[in-house]
Amino acid sequence: MRIKPRHTQQPVIPTSSMADIAFLLIVFFMVTVTYEKDRTQVELPKTDLRFEIPKEVAYISVTTNGVIRVTNGEELSSPIDIADVVSFASNVVSQFPGRPIVIKADGAVDYEKVDKVIDSLKQAKVELIYLLSDQKTVDRGGAV
Amino acid sequence: MKLTKNTPEPEIPTSSMADIAFLLIVYFMLTATFAATRGLDFALPKEDDNQQTEIEPEDAVLIEIDPAGNVQVDKKAMEINGQILEYLAPKLQANPKKPVIIQPNPKSPYGTMVQVFDLLRQGKLIERQLIWREKFPEISEEQWEAGKNISISIPTQREIDQFWN
Repeated sequence: MRIKPRHTQQPVIPTSSMADIAFLLIVFFMVTVTYEKDRTQVELPKTDLRFEIPKEVAYISVTTNGVIRVTNGEELSSPIDIADVVSFASNVVSQFPGRPIVIKADGAVDYEKVDKVIDSLKQAKVELIYLLSDQKTVDRGGAV
Repeated sequence: MKLTKNTPEPEIPTSSMADIAFLLIVYFMLTATFAATRGLDFALPKEDDNQQTEIEPEDAVLIEIDPAGNVQVDKKAMEINGQILEYLAPKLQANPKKPVIIQPNPKSPYGTMVQVFDLLRQGKLIERQLIWREKFPEISEEQWEAGKNISISIPTQREIDQFWN
């Protein structure tokens, strides 16, 4: 008697749920993505305290070579002269009342440059600023 | 004779969907910037031309930063750590309204000013105070309490020239 070949099942990798996972990841990245308005590379100062900065903010970045770039939070940042920071800040205050301005300055930059920026913001009657910083990891709280 | 046409099962071609999906994942992963969107908040004082609250340097605790990044509190050299809080605590208890002025030298690094500001800002927060309390048992409860009202002032060079000179 001939034995019938056994009806073996074709081996398959179950890929039906892969799409679910993939789309879940897509949705996650789509939601979390924020197109950075300011891509200036700076070495931020390090602090223990770091508060969440709202999404709708204007940026002023100061690099070590003294270049100041600004964005009101709606378009990509562009370099401006220090003397024009007041008018820029005034525009932000009048166009977007209550919008905070974030100072993204390199930790090694001379304080006078930041001082001029803060002074301009005070003159433009900006109410709240943020000093962007990185998390301090080592030497927490300093040597005691 | 019955003819049964062998019709293929209708199906949607999904084999390429994974390719597209993963392409999109890679795209969003690369463009996603978990941007450093955290920092210290600093409420700028409202500048009323007439009602400028005059702070005399003598009434306040003056924290100076020299171009090398060294910190002097009331002309005494200090490290940026609990030493400053320890110095401030009794003064703030005696006068909770005592302002603390940070006055960095124009040539000092911005990062040092941020570190000092970070330290002073921590005095305002209970959860941060707890960490410091362990390190400084000699600072009393009342002194920590007074630290919550610390008023930090960072005058700009223009204001210094205008009001102090």
